[in-house]
Amino acid sequence: MFGFLKQVGDYTRDAVDAARNLTQGLAVTFDHMKRRPVTVQYPYEKLIPSERYRGRIHYEFDKCIACEVCVRVCPINLPVVDWVMNKETKKKELRNYSIDFGVCIFCGNCVEYCPTNCLSMTEEYELAAFDRHSLNFDNVALGRLPTSVTTDPAVQPLRELAYLPAGEVHPHGVDPARPRAGQRPDQVLASLKRDAAGTAGNEGESATSTNNSKESAE
Amino acid sequence: MVTFFATNAPALVSPGLDLEQSFSQTLEGFGLSDQAARLIWLPLPMLLVLVAAVVGVLVTVWLERKISAAVQQRIGPEYAGALGVLQPLADGLKLLVKEDIIPARADGLLFTLGPVLVVVPVILSWLIVPFGQNLLISNVGVGIFLWISLSSVQPIGLLMSGYASNNKYSLLGGLRAAAQSISYEIPLALAVLAVVMMSNSLSTVDIVSQQTGAGILSWNIWRQPVGFLIFWICALAECERLPFDLPEAEEELVAGYQTEYAGMKFALFYLGSYINLVLSALLVSVLYLGGWGFPVPVEWLAGWLGQSVDAPLVQVITGATGIVMTVLKAYLLVFIAILLRWTTPRVRIDQLLDLGWKFLLPLALVNLLVTAALKLAFPVAFGG
Repeated sequence: MFGFLKQVGDYTRDAVDAARNLTQGLAVTFDHMKRRPVTVQYPYEKLIPSERYRGRIHYEFDKCIACEVCVRVCPINLPVVDWVMNKETKKKELRNYSIDFGVCIFCGNCVEYCPTNCLSMTEEYELAAFDRHSLNFDNVALGRLPTSVTTDPAVQPLRELAYLPAGEVHPHGVDPARPRAGQRPDQVLASLKRDAAGTAGNEGESATSTNNSKESAE
Repeated sequence: MVTFFATNAPALVSPGLDLEQSFSQTLEGFGLSDQAARLIWLPLPMLLVLVAAVVGVLVTVWLERKISAAVQQRIGPEYAGALGVLQPLADGLKLLVKEDIIPARADGLLFTLGPVLVVVPVILSWLIVPFGQNLLISNVGVGIFLWISLSSVQPIGLLMSGYASNNKYSLLGGLRAAAQSISYEIPLALAVLAVVMMSNSLSTVDIVSQQTGAGILSWNIWRQPVGFLIFWICALAECERLPFDLPEAEEELVAGYQTEYAGMKFALFYLGSYINLVLSALLVSVLYLGGWGFPVPVEWLAGWLGQSVDAPLVQVITGATGIVMTVLKAYLLVFIAILLRWTTPRVRIDQLLDLGWKFLLPLALVNLLVTAALKLAFPVAFGG
């Protein structure tokens, strides 16, 4: 008899628990309805890519010395460097350079190792094409600069979460003049330089500051 | 619109508008015979209810998409009409012009008959949904029982389309749908039976009339809270709404019995499921939330304003508030169903059957017994 009553009691408690959990869940979903949509309406609004975004690679033909370092550091030897040896001047003569972005994984090794900085990463990521062969960019296509999200008049640029002012969560309607939360790289660099000056900088200190200046330059 | 008017309606409730009577009188004024007037009248309410059902579905689909979007902090449809209100229409148009495919080695006849068998009973059930004292197609005496029997035709259609598709996912989905509908039909019927016992009638008009005495206080939800919950859970299961959408669980069964369907046949399933949802919500409001009743009885309001209940203007206003209240209550329940969809995870098939047979069925039986006992003990409060 008591066993049965205990069973009934346990069962009731389970049912009440389930109901409470359900109400808690409903409260959460109901609360979400009051929040602002996080949707970025893509063709009309775009997020501003971060400063170290690894997009389509930009290439400057005139800077290139055809050393083929980019080919050697590439995981799949992707860049095609077409050069001939000029017997008279005993110098390499570059004829063509191409990277196939249908195969590229945007690791950025070539950019990292290029001795003349003729390769760089852009913030372009819209590489959809009807034909995969049109993704094989030659030196002319590689030399084009992408339209920046911030300067394109057809696009409403939106800041990513980490670039919003302190306390802001949604990128919509935030004044572009308001600075992001925390220090910008150049501010970090300035404060580091101040510190270095304060401790009458030794060699180690100057090494860090040059590192930082390199990063902020990107 | 009603042909036969319930004679045992409480004296407090006014007979209200009788559109059929006025319509026939007008036509007879033009010199038509009684039968001709009736013949012209007959298709009108049917057409009206069919249109109401389809518009109700369009609204529900739009609400579903917009509320789902809001819950997930998205925007939802926005470009088809203002706020995307035309999106369901665009969806329907797309399905209308899509190719109708019957898969290879499927049973063409059963494959076509399946969606028809799913949709027809659901639309037929709108026969008994009252929007006012006389605002329903037919006040059949067996009202709510008709709905229960019609809704048990549906699993046959589901099983048929699942079996005829020649697809393992469809078959599994069809079997699950049948198992689910059968398990949840019983507690649903028992919950309805408790309400029927209190109102001494199966007619939906009588069930609502019995709840109109003291406005919100006389609604069945206060006397049948457990029955209300059982009915709502079972109704969600019958509609295959999210905690119980196993028959079309997309992660495991692609789309269940709908997998092989495209174009208009798929649209029929889609339409059927949403008509069923609106219908269930309407019936919950009829059975438990006082149907067309205003939270404060209209008779009292008319009395306070010094108007006669039988005055034409008051009657029109009463009729209009009746429709508004019924729809409002139904859509509140639809809203809860949509919110539940994004709150609850899907149950497993064993949990589903456990819930149906081991929890809801005994609970519904106990609820029925308690209702019977209370009816004997307090005949005043429980419709003796």
